[in-house]
Amino acid sequence: MTRPRILVIEDESDIRRFLRLALEREDMQVYESEDAFRGRIDAASRQPDLIVLDLGLPDDDGKAVIRDVRGWSSAPIIVLSARDSETEKVAALEAGADDYLVKPFGVPELVARVRAQLRRASLAGDKGNTGSRIRFGEIGVDLATHEVLRRGETVHLTPIEFRLLAALVRGQGKVLTHKQLLLDVWGPGYANRPHYVRVYMANLRQKLEDEPARPKHLMTELQVGYRLAGID
Amino acid sequence: MIQRPDPARRRPFRFRVLPYALAACAVSTGIAALLLRVFDLSNVVMLFLLTVVLVALRWGRAAGAIAALASVASFDFFFVPPVWSFHVSDTQYLFTFVLMLVVALVTGQLAARLREEAVTATAGERRASALAAVASDLAGAIRDEDIARVCVTRIGPLLGGTVTLLLPGDDERIGTRAGGDAAIAQWVLEQGRAAGRDTDTLPANDATYLPLVTPLRTRGVLVLHRADPTPLDTDRIALLDACRALVALALERVHFVEVAHDTMLRMEGEKLRNALLAAVSHDLRTPLTAIRGMAGTLPEDEVARAIAAQADRMQRQVGNLLDTARLQGEGVRLDRQWHALDEVLGAALSAVPMGRRQILIELAPTLPLVELDAGLFERVLANLLDNAAKYTPDDTTVWIRADRIGAMLHVWVEDDGPGFPEGINAGGLFADFTRGITESTVPGVGLGLALCRRIVEAHGGTIVASRRAPRGARFEIRLAAGDPPTIDLEDLA
Repeated sequence: MTRPRILVIEDESDIRRFLRLALEREDMQVYESEDAFRGRIDAASRQPDLIVLDLGLPDDDGKAVIRDVRGWSSAPIIVLSARDSETEKVAALEAGADDYLVKPFGVPELVARVRAQLRRASLAGDKGNTGSRIRFGEIGVDLATHEVLRRGETVHLTPIEFRLLAALVRGQGKVLTHKQLLLDVWGPGYANRPHYVRVYMANLRQKLEDEPARPKHLMTELQVGYRLAGID
Repeated sequence: MIQRPDPARRRPFRFRVLPYALAACAVSTGIAALLLRVFDLSNVVMLFLLTVVLVALRWGRAAGAIAALASVASFDFFFVPPVWSFHVSDTQYLFTFVLMLVVALVTGQLAARLREEAVTATAGERRASALAAVASDLAGAIRDEDIARVCVTRIGPLLGGTVTLLLPGDDERIGTRAGGDAAIAQWVLEQGRAAGRDTDTLPANDATYLPLVTPLRTRGVLVLHRADPTPLDTDRIALLDACRALVALALERVHFVEVAHDTMLRMEGEKLRNALLAAVSHDLRTPLTAIRGMAGTLPEDEVARAIAAQADRMQRQVGNLLDTARLQGEGVRLDRQWHALDEVLGAALSAVPMGRRQILIELAPTLPLVELDAGLFERVLANLLDNAAKYTPDDTTVWIRADRIGAMLHVWVEDDGPGFPEGINAGGLFADFTRGITESTVPGVGLGLALCRRIVEAHGGTIVASRRAPRGARFEIRLAAGDPPTIDLEDLA
C-alpha cells in the first residue's frame, strides 16, 4: 500500500509541526497549508487521502473550506476545534466533515482517528465489496437480513433500534449529528427532537454494550452526535 | 370618569342677543321707511325677511325667532295702514303677516342651524388638528420626560388649564415631590379610576386625577388643574379622553423602547463577554495543544507522559476558569436539553484519567432523561471525579450512582478514600477558592467545587458534601426531575 497523503490546514506552526511529526512517524506523507487560501489550492493539487482542518483559520471560515472541498473530493476531513463550540462542530459535520478532534488532543487519539477515517475511505473506495455483514467487537450486524448477533446469540432489536444501528454502521465511524440521525431514522418531522435519538441510543447500549455508561462501540460525542467505534 | 353635562339640556338662552335682534329690526325699519318712497310695500317685506336670516345666521335660533316677531310687528305698526297703529284696515294684510311670520321663522331657523353646523365643524376641525399636533409631538417623544413636557405645553392650553403627568417610580409609587396630591394619584394609579373634581370620588378636590390605562396596566396619572369653575363641556371631555389615550400609548411605547434597549445592551454585553472568553480560550488553548501534542511525539517515557498529564490538567483548569467567568455574567443562558445522564457521565469519565481506581457505576435502569446544559454538567461530574482522583490513593473505589426519588433526581459521587480532613466543614468546600488541604501539594485552587456549585445552582439544583461511612467522601447532587418529553410509541413511527 502506498503511503497515505495527509494535508494539514492549520495556522499555528507549532501545532502543524507536531501533527507532521506524529503522522510521519506513522509512515504517512504530510503536506502543510497555513491558511484557507493555500489549503484550497493544496487540496486540489496534492490530491490528499485525508485532510486535517483547523476550524479557526485567519482568512476564511473552515466550514466554507469544507463545502468547497466536498464539491469535488470525498477525502475524509477531520476538523480541529475548541471544546466550547458544539454548534461549530455540528455545523462542520453537517457541511461534510467526517470527524473532529477537540483541542488539546493526544497523539494516540489523533492517530486512531486518522487511521479509522483512512480505513473507512478505502472501504468505501472498494465499491460493492463491503458486503452487508459488519463486525465490531463481539457484535455482528447483517444489513441485508436485519440480523444482529452478540457473542453468537441473536439480539432482538425493534425496527427503529435496527434502523438507528444501521445508520451508524453505514457511517462506518463517521460522526453523525443528532439531526442527521433523526432525518435518516425518523424522517424530516423529527429533526428537532434529539431526545428521540438519546432514548433509542440508550436502548441500543443496554442491548449491545457490556457497560452502557462506558460504551466501547456506540460512542457519544456529547452535544454533537454519535459514532460507531471499533469496526473490525 | 368625568361627569358629562346632560345632553338633553339645551344651551341656555343668552339674553344679551336680544338687543342685537331688536336693533337689527329697528335699522331695517329705518331703511324700509326710506325705500318706501321708491318701492312698493310688498318689496319692504323682503327686506325684513333678509334681516331675520342675517340675524339668525349671526346670533342663532332665539335671536332669529325674536327678529321674526319684531319684524312682523314693526311692519304692521309702521307701514301697514293705518300707520302708527297695530290696527289693520285691510284684512288681507293679516294673511301677509302670517305668511311673513312663518317664512321668517322657517328661514331663520334654517339659517341658524347652518350656522351651528358650521361652528361645530370648525370646532371639530380645531380639535382634530390639536389632537394631531399632540399626537405628532408624542410620536417624537423617546423618554418619559418628553411626554411630560408635551402634557404641560400642549395638552394644558388645549383644555384651558394646567396638565401634569405623574409617573410611578421603580417601586410602583408616585413620589410626593411630583406635584398634586400623591395619595390621590396613588389611589388612581392602583384603582385605574378617575378621582377629584367633576368625578364621583373626592369631588371637592380642586384638580381632576385621571388614570392612563393601557392594555397591560395603568402607566401613570394625568392631573388637570383648571381655574374656570364650570365643568368641562362635552367637546373638551372628548378631547381630554383622546389626549389621555395618546399619552398612555406613548408611555407604553417608551416603556417598550426602554425594555428593548436594555435587552439589547445585555445581549451586546453577553456577546462581548463571550467573544472575549473565546479569544482568551483560543490563546490559552493553542500553546496547550502544541505542548500536549509535542509531548506525544517524544519517545514514550515518564517525562513525556508527565508533560502530557500536566497539559491535560492545565487544560481542565483553563476550562474551569473560563466557565467560571462565563457563569459570573448576569443572565447566563443555559443550553438546556433533555439528556441521558449516562452519556454526560461517559463524557466526563473519558475526560478525567482515574488511574487504577475502580469505578463502579450504578444508574437506575429506569432513569428518565434530565434537562441539563450537557457541557456544563459534564464539567460538574468531571470536577467531582478529578477531585476524587486528586485526593484519594490509587487503590480507592469510586461509586457513581443516580436514581429518581419522587420529583427529584439524585446523583451521588462517592469514594472510600481518606475523606475530608478533620476540622473541615464539608459545606464550606464549595466557597470560591477554598481547599480542604492548606498546603499546596495537591494542584488546583478550589475553583473546581465552587464551579460545580455554581453550575448546579444555575440548573436550580443543590450540591452537598458529606462524610461517607465508614470512610471516604460523598457528594450528592439533586436536580428537579421535571417533566421529560414523551416519545411516540414505536409502532406509530
